[in-house]
Amino acid sequence: MPSKFLAAGLALAALAAPASARPVSYAGGWTVMQDNNGMYSSLLVHYSPTSTDSIGLLAERNWSMDATFTGLQYTRLAKRWNAPQSQGNLYLKLGAGAADAFDGGQKAAGFAGLSADWETRRVFVSYDVRARDYGFDQSVSHAARLGVAPYVAGFGDLHTWAMVQVENHPEADNPVQVTPLLRFFKGPLLMEAGYTLEEDRFLLNWIYRF
Amino acid sequence: MKHFKTLTLAAALAMMAAPALAAPETPAAAAQAKGEFVTAHVNGLVCDFCAQSIQKVFRKEDAVKGVHVDLDGGEIHISMKPGQTMDDAAIEALIRKSGYSLTSIDREPAE
Repeated sequence: MPSKFLAAGLALAALAAPASARPVSYAGGWTVMQDNNGMYSSLLVHYSPTSTDSIGLLAERNWSMDATFTGLQYTRLAKRWNAPQSQGNLYLKLGAGAADAFDGGQKAAGFAGLSADWETRRVFVSYDVRARDYGFDQSVSHAARLGVAPYVAGFGDLHTWAMVQVENHPEADNPVQVTPLLRFFKGPLLMEAGYTLEEDRFLLNWIYRF
Repeated sequence: MKHFKTLTLAAALAMMAAPALAAPETPAAAAQAKGEFVTAHVNGLVCDFCAQSIQKVFRKEDAVKGVHVDLDGGEIHISMKPGQTMDDAAIEALIRKSGYSLTSIDREPAE
């Protein structure tokens, strides 16, 4: 029995932090964010009533373990540092909903997380930590990114970033997972494609703002 | 003949009115008539994807004719419609709504 809970916990822990790029938009803006990494998919549709808050519907699905989380996510831009050549952000994320484990049971579920990022036009760094309580499992995961832009593009041009993402899922078989990825964005569309070395999985994320 | 007199009178009145319409204006009024050009210097302007919000926010304003974002210079260029203007407080509020911090504003008549 404990192994079943452990498996459910691992499945949900593998529902890693959803796309963390800009979880709060401009006041009145809508955003659709989807993450796919071969093992799970997530979809977050959020609206920003102010430039410091967003509220959205979040659905995460672990395909291999047949586990799902659905609920609401509230994100608060706790602090923004605007400097002449850089910007830094600190976000607080809270989620509440229901988690369906692979065995068919449904539990009240929630999570809390912090995200921080800092970027110039050449360098990007970020860190996310998320603590979950899905009733039958509690877990904490971390993710960090380092990115470099090979060229500096102007407004409206195609922007390209080479990034590496390092995730830590303490309970997983491979607790440390490294994903080199490329990020592209132009206008309101952002796309990321990468490959997780330890898991032999492809990553494909996209964000659209309107 | 009656129609000719009426037409002549209307033409004369129109000619008298024209100089009044073209009366010398103050520099500010002249700028507004041409469509004012505003340069807002902002901090935090490093991400194109995020700066799209600036265009979304400013284009909703009736007074705004066009918006251009200069990531290199950290500037937002705003073209106002002829006869329209926005005060500094309104521009600062829109920049804050977009997620950025205003440092200064320059104004000049459009070319």
